[in-house]
Amino acid sequence: MNITNLLRHISLKHLKLQKAQLFIALSGICLGVAAMVAIDIVNRSVLRSFEDSINHATGRAVLQVAAGESGFPEKMLDVVQGVPGVEYAVPVIETNAKLSGGTERAVMILGVDVLQDHQIRDYSITDESADIPDPLLFLARSDSILLTRSMAEREGIKIDQQIQVQTVEGIKTFQVRGLLNPDGPARVAGGDIAIMDIYAAQMAFGKEGRVDRIDVSLLRGEDFDKVKERIQGAVPEGYNIDTPAGRTRQVEMMLKRFQNSIGFVSLMVMFVGMYLIYNSVSISVVHRRKEIGIMRALGAKRGEIIRLFLGETLVTSAIASFIGVGLGLVFARLSIGVVAQSVTDIYMQASVTELAFSWGELIRDGIIGIIASLAAAAFPARSCARITPISAIRSMPYSEDGFLFGTKIKIASAALIILSFTILIAYKMAGNSSPLRTSGTTFAAALFLTVGLSLGTPLLLKWFLVFFHRYISPRLGAPGRLAGLNLQKNVSRNAVALAAVFFSISLLVSSVNAMNSTRTSIFEWIDSVIRADILIASGHPLSIGAHGIPMPGEMIKEIEEVPGVLTVEPFRKGYIYYNGRKVMLETTDIAMRMEYCPGMMAEGTRDDMVNLLPGQDNVVVNEGFATKYGVRKGDSIVLPTPDGPVRFGVAGIVVSYSSDSGVIWMDISTYRKRWHDNLVDMYEVRVKPGQDIRKVSGAILDRMGGERRLFALPALEFRNEIRQILDRSWAVTYAINTIVLVIAGFGIVITMLASVLERTREIGVLRSIGMKRSQVSGVVITESVLIGAAGGLLGAASGLLVGWIELEGFFRIDFGASMTYHIDYLSLAWALLLSAGLSALAGLYPAHRASKINIVEALRYE
Amino acid sequence: MNKPGIGTCSVLALAISLFSVTCSHAMSGREVYDKVHEIRQKALDHKLEATMVLFDKGGGKRSRTLVGYGKTGENESYKVLVVFNTPPDLKDVGFLIHARSFAERDLWAYFPEYKRVRRIPTTSQDDSFFGSDLSYDDFGGPSNLDDYSFKILGEETVDAKPCYVVEVTPKIRRKYTRYVAWVAKDLWVHMKVQYYQDKELYREGYFSDVRIIDGIPTPFKGAMENRKTGHKTDLAIENVQYNTRFPDDLFTQRSLERAGK
Repeated sequence: MNITNLLRHISLKHLKLQKAQLFIALSGICLGVAAMVAIDIVNRSVLRSFEDSINHATGRAVLQVAAGESGFPEKMLDVVQGVPGVEYAVPVIETNAKLSGGTERAVMILGVDVLQDHQIRDYSITDESADIPDPLLFLARSDSILLTRSMAEREGIKIDQQIQVQTVEGIKTFQVRGLLNPDGPARVAGGDIAIMDIYAAQMAFGKEGRVDRIDVSLLRGEDFDKVKERIQGAVPEGYNIDTPAGRTRQVEMMLKRFQNSIGFVSLMVMFVGMYLIYNSVSISVVHRRKEIGIMRALGAKRGEIIRLFLGETLVTSAIASFIGVGLGLVFARLSIGVVAQSVTDIYMQASVTELAFSWGELIRDGIIGIIASLAAAAFPARSCARITPISAIRSMPYSEDGFLFGTKIKIASAALIILSFTILIAYKMAGNSSPLRTSGTTFAAALFLTVGLSLGTPLLLKWFLVFFHRYISPRLGAPGRLAGLNLQKNVSRNAVALAAVFFSISLLVSSVNAMNSTRTSIFEWIDSVIRADILIASGHPLSIGAHGIPMPGEMIKEIEEVPGVLTVEPFRKGYIYYNGRKVMLETTDIAMRMEYCPGMMAEGTRDDMVNLLPGQDNVVVNEGFATKYGVRKGDSIVLPTPDGPVRFGVAGIVVSYSSDSGVIWMDISTYRKRWHDNLVDMYEVRVKPGQDIRKVSGAILDRMGGERRLFALPALEFRNEIRQILDRSWAVTYAINTIVLVIAGFGIVITMLASVLERTREIGVLRSIGMKRSQVSGVVITESVLIGAAGGLLGAASGLLVGWIELEGFFRIDFGASMTYHIDYLSLAWALLLSAGLSALAGLYPAHRASKINIVEALRYE
Repeated sequence: MNKPGIGTCSVLALAISLFSVTCSHAMSGREVYDKVHEIRQKALDHKLEATMVLFDKGGGKRSRTLVGYGKTGENESYKVLVVFNTPPDLKDVGFLIHARSFAERDLWAYFPEYKRVRRIPTTSQDDSFFGSDLSYDDFGGPSNLDDYSFKILGEETVDAKPCYVVEVTPKIRRKYTRYVAWVAKDLWVHMKVQYYQDKELYREGYFSDVRIIDGIPTPFKGAMENRKTGHKTDLAIENVQYNTRFPDDLFTQRSLERAGK
């Protein structure tokens, strides 16, 4: 009989009879594939939205000249245009604004030289690509603005209508002079973009005489590298000449840690899914061992039996994977908003308007689901083929203990655990510049540890049961003893369910503790640097990096005059280029900071901060920067300023978690002198003793609120909001953890169902000699809880270690050693409770089935 | 650099002919345009006052008045300064052309609110002249005829004036692939012109009220419609003087910043 006939006549009949079990097994694969697809799609969509924005915003530009967020003198335009091989060099101002009133939508403002910008970007204000009734008026008036048609429709704005926009100069009224069709730059940021003439943008956003970027196209036939080299030679050191693709790469690098951590979790989902498949196929073997025996007796070869089980797995996992891909699309749609918001909160404005996916990737994820299923099914299928016909026909108990208790598995388990610890030790001993110091190394250590422990679960369950029999079961009476004995009957299968619980709890505990550590460290740091009572910014103080609008430096005087204000500390931050990579430059009034903030030094003392005071070209850098660029206290670094490169002394190494790209601190007066930038992102206000913070904050808003929309946030609320943002950034991880827990729960259900089925006759005997239905249920639920408790204990213990590894690889590598591991003890208690509770819940259905067994039929069961 | 120009409805070259030319033989397209070219050259030295009315597809109407000055130089060089007087939002906005030859010229615009003179890239001369349905080129001087090929399509009457119908095809890439012009036989000015992008008509202009001023035929009224956008621009000359011989310092960037004052 060929495999198709076997599948049709044997497998199909079996699958029809075991609908519930089939459904659960399918659900496991389905959820695993769905989680993987959803994560792939979400990651790709976020990146694609940035890539599209960059491509639409850059048009035909092949090179971009930039020098950090504060911009650079516009005279550099002539320098770049004069470079041989350059066709067009057009200036760009790219900044954020917010509609004042209505939906208060955040808008990207692109300031371009509209007279020549069409040489680079696909639009023109004077042709059919835009509806601009009077382009001359648009050019002549500095209040002119163009909106995209999509945004105007969303906001109900018409041509010639006035709109109010929050700018550096306060709330400004602009006249909508026209609407852009959804082409070229009008597609940037999901259409939430406004275009202004570059000179109007300079005036409105406090960038007179400066531009943020120069977009460059090359003459036909020119050698790209040579022209790039020539431009690099023509502009001062520290200017960054990059391709638009390079900018996408920078975004990709920025998001890498965020995406890696989600990717790590998605891999774990697949592993747990594999446990489920393993169990499901094992149970199928239990069910059909007699049938297999008959087939073997009739001449079926071992290979045919293996192929039959793998064939079944192939068909069912293909269906489940197909459904999983669809479900993944739904998950992606549901979660994309949360992820985009997290990216906006932490990194930069992300407007994801559509899901980006390729059919190739969806097929790949489906195939991974099928392969993972086949790999998981291969072990029980192989064991099944080894069943002798006689033992199967006589219904002798079947167990995979031979395989899972084999020496090879024990050696593999020990080897993987040892390998994991070896990698960790090597990682800790390696220097900062060692190729071992990557998140890939820590990821491998975590993976080996978890897989190693999984393979060791049969042994662990055995030890656990010894402990249980000795210390606990005597207190639980007969049902307790029975439960322990039952688990002992098929340790291997139960160990697989235990491994699934272990995996999910380990994942949960590690996530919670890694997050708790980052949160605690971030709060300790925030407490040390933000000692103000009120934070004032044009946008929400938390969003100054993503879509904030700076304020003029002169505002400080007006705020100082508000009754009740003790001190006002300006704060300005932005990215600059160092060694071709973006780093965060933060500036503040160092003298004031020294007086009020304890600060956290990683190398050096607080007294070293004196060297940052005005008149000295000194900086301090954070641990991440020091590690990445091999900088120590006493070294010097050259930073690009608009006037050319300037050497700064490194006065110390501080703790700062502002950015994972590396952080540099300097006094704001030094910054203003060197960067000619008098803007401020946030004012930190301290009130006089005894003053009511809310009243002072209200007085500031009353005084300044007429000119601009301001946020005055009490520091306490600021901290609460940071907590919310951190929680949000972990939302996807928690969602996946939940899926993993559900899959693990399915695993227990399947295991218990198999156990009940296998013991049908035994349960019948027990019932016939007087055991009550409730006692039968109690035994099954106790078994389930025991599996859960053992898995929970192992998961909690390994989760603690994996959490530390996760912190090491995903956070400390970028933020420095000061980010210490903080164990959330409550999470351990919750994990144990959850594992026991989940197991009890998972045991309910099998317990119900066991208690409903008909005594007479059970006694006849073979 | 080869800089195209077509001046079909040009304010400056609002067409013209000093004398009626009676043709005793069938003329070639190039010969017709040599005549048109000759009239345009003569019209370069001028001052004019005009009103431009822009109609958008929704029926909206925006008026503006302007003053234009022109001066011819040696060989094919010439200079043009145009300054807007109304509406108040556009007062003193201006633009300046320095043509070194009929094929090479530089353009600048001035916007008082920014106090900046801005260079307009020469490749955008086919673009709309600040929202009107005329192009920058329409405001320039005569074109370099060697950049085009000409073909007589026939003869027709427009506005009771017998015309040559000439197809003009640029040899270099332009926004249009060709245009067909109805050139009045006795005046050598355009009475009608149609611009095509491949086979599609995208811009069409009519000219009327042709008066002879200082011996130069001048259409006092013109209208250009963009068939793609539904926009239309009417141009009415209120006053024109020729042979004005303005000094060179009227055509400097400094003069542009002072609105020609």
